[in-house]
Amino acid sequence: MKHLSTVAMIALLAGSVSSAWAQDRGGIMNFARYDGSKLIDPIYADSNPDIWMVLNLFDTLLTMKDGAVVDNLTQSHEMSADGLTLTLTLRDDIKFADGTPMTGADVVFSLDRARNRDLTSWADLIGSIDSVAAEGNVVTVTLKHADPAILAMLATFSTAIVSKAAFDAAPGATDQEKSAAIFASGKPGVGSGPFYLSGFSQGTTMDFTANPNYWRAGADGKPLPYLDGVHFEIIPDDATRVLKLQSGEVDVAELIPFSRVAELKADPNLKMELFPSTRIIYAPINTRETRADGSANPLNDVKLRQALNYATDKDALVALVLQGAGSPMASPLMSSQTPMATDMSPLYGYDIEKAKALAAEAGIQPGTPLTFTTLAGSADDATLFAALQHMWAPIGVNLVVEQVDSATRGAKNKSGEFDIHTYGWTDDVADPAQVVGWLGYNPTANAVGTGWNDATFNGLYEAANAEVDPAKRADAYKQMQEIYAEAAPLLWLYQTPYAVAMSKNVEGYIQLPLGVNKFDEATVKH
Amino acid sequence: MARSILTRLLLMIPTFALVMIIIFVLVRLLPGDPALALAGDRASDAELATIREKLGLNDSLLTQFVLFVKATLSGDMGRSILMRAPVSSVIADKLPITIFLAVYSVGLSLLIAGPLAFVAALNRGRWPDSLIRTVFQIGLSMPVFYIGLVLLTFLAAKLRLFPVGGTGTGFVGQLYAMFLPAMSIAFYTAAIILRNLRTAIIEVLDAEYVSFAKVKGLPPRVILGRHVLRNALISTVTLVGLSIGNLMSGTLVTETVFAVPGLGRLMLEAIFARDYPLIQGLTLVFAVLVSVVFLLTDLFQSWLDPRMRQ
Repeated sequence: MKHLSTVAMIALLAGSVSSAWAQDRGGIMNFARYDGSKLIDPIYADSNPDIWMVLNLFDTLLTMKDGAVVDNLTQSHEMSADGLTLTLTLRDDIKFADGTPMTGADVVFSLDRARNRDLTSWADLIGSIDSVAAEGNVVTVTLKHADPAILAMLATFSTAIVSKAAFDAAPGATDQEKSAAIFASGKPGVGSGPFYLSGFSQGTTMDFTANPNYWRAGADGKPLPYLDGVHFEIIPDDATRVLKLQSGEVDVAELIPFSRVAELKADPNLKMELFPSTRIIYAPINTRETRADGSANPLNDVKLRQALNYATDKDALVALVLQGAGSPMASPLMSSQTPMATDMSPLYGYDIEKAKALAAEAGIQPGTPLTFTTLAGSADDATLFAALQHMWAPIGVNLVVEQVDSATRGAKNKSGEFDIHTYGWTDDVADPAQVVGWLGYNPTANAVGTGWNDATFNGLYEAANAEVDPAKRADAYKQMQEIYAEAAPLLWLYQTPYAVAMSKNVEGYIQLPLGVNKFDEATVKH
Repeated sequence: MARSILTRLLLMIPTFALVMIIIFVLVRLLPGDPALALAGDRASDAELATIREKLGLNDSLLTQFVLFVKATLSGDMGRSILMRAPVSSVIADKLPITIFLAVYSVGLSLLIAGPLAFVAALNRGRWPDSLIRTVFQIGLSMPVFYIGLVLLTFLAAKLRLFPVGGTGTGFVGQLYAMFLPAMSIAFYTAAIILRNLRTAIIEVLDAEYVSFAKVKGLPPRVILGRHVLRNALISTVTLVGLSIGNLMSGTLVTETVFAVPGLGRLMLEAIFARDYPLIQGLTLVFAVLVSVVFLLTDLFQSWLDPRMRQ
């Protein structure tokens, strides 16, 4: 009898243990987004709400893991010694959501599409590719020249694999029409990602359903994803999005204003997550000799630009604007999350005496007017302006505000009709070439509109992007960061995390540093 | 009567033509362009040039205008840059929800303002009158988005009587889900109607024909319904018509706060993205809606007031 009860006890224990360890599965996660997707296609994803969703519906050949490029849809990948031929061996168990197996032909089709300049503005990411050919499950990528970033680009959303058969079968005369038709159809087929798009209403809702043929397995050995699906609601207003979460109508709300982070952290029903991001907030400074209206531009003097940076107490700004949820920029050209970032912190640490001396050397008279262009309606920008006006007065700058909408700010950046304006950036690829090209390399976009143009810097950038030796490439990027910091074409502000609030019932949802919303290992208990 | 309606309809054509010219010029006077808004921060100058060429932004203004007129006459109003779909289908998708919200909130505001205006007018100068007028004076001085957030915070998030945002399904579901957005607009509109209707009722009550009706011994119900209400409504109808015009601009704010995917929110998105074809199409649709409402208002007024039929 005693023996029997022991057995029963053990069985009971084992039962409770195994049920405690069983993986939560099933259910729909309700997710409040700040903006809706327009078209989720690897090559047509233009804005963040599109880009950040691509990898839920599609898979890339390679992927990033702990800062390194690893196999994803491939069993192996190998670069030839001359750096010109990349051989990819595909896994043989990959199926698209409609059940058809992925083949080399799909890879050729997808990469040809992704490097077609007539179709996509992302073509230059893999502009080094000369040709792509497949034989069975072996794909050969031939390059025009050695490209140190090519592996990272094959881990980037724009090169994700699309089913050729499903794409060809879609109605429409052009590539765009076919893509739009597939997006609107709500049927599985075109991607091999953990979900497929099962419903879409422009600007209102979007639904993902689990891909029954997904290849990656979860902790319980069964295929991912754990969720049955994700239901998205588009709630553009920050306050309403938070209310929607607090009322329990959604499980997750993204893009929480930093001013609300502390309050939501204190809410016992919620988890407030701050995911590391590649997001940087900075302010381009017009470095041209004259302003657009022909008047002399005092900001042409590097000493004044350096003075402004020294006079800016970034720690105070992080406390004021981000309520502490962020940190001052540590590299002048990228976020700390970007590969090859040099930690130069404190980057222009607060030093008002040095700032005063530099401003005096630049010949700044008390009351020198400078215009700070901000986004109308942005609480963050309003706080920032007020703080900077106060911080810069002692060095003789009279800061005046000009408020515009985002499209106007972009136009001013292009035309050079500004002194200093707020701006932000998030990397789209796991490589520094994109952000450094934008911020510093003049031919891309006038060094983020500042007009700064440095021959040494430009030369280093061009050389670095053809340099296959990782150490030499990293060294070139280090030099670029030093040159850029010295020249100060930016006012460096801070890097911010992605603030996402969720119910205590949600586990495993993450947002990657590039912004990707990742649902494949997420669970929710309702 | 039919003749005057026809004249009114014909007069709408030059109105719409004028609206088209003005909006075509106005959107292009805004700094920034669709290519920049579409490609965003990361776009290089070369990419922007390609996008501009694709969107036809390098064509002469005249060519662009001719294309706009052609597209409008053909009914599809061009292609939305932001939504990558014909403007007509994008608008048709969102139009019902905005009309629903407009009619709902006007209905609510009449339901609120009508009875209260009578109560206030009949108790002129006494406490019910003061109370009603004070409460609605507050409504008049609070911005719609603020009323909206207060309603959302207490009735939806705290008490959970209503959903936070969204539109609901089915007629009853929509009435329920959109009660708060309709109410936040209605509160403001009701305040305006109430003030006007109360004054009108007081004026009519003091009129000789009402005194005469009282002397004749007509029951108060008949006096109020047939004589007072009908005459007091004449000026109020104009006001309601005009407030529907205002309400269209009010939807820009309300639809954003309450996450109602209607034309107001669409217009906001279109402006920020400098989506010229969509802004043009939406402006035209708003112009048509407002013109139709004004026409209906006039018709209703001439039914109420026989003097206007001449």
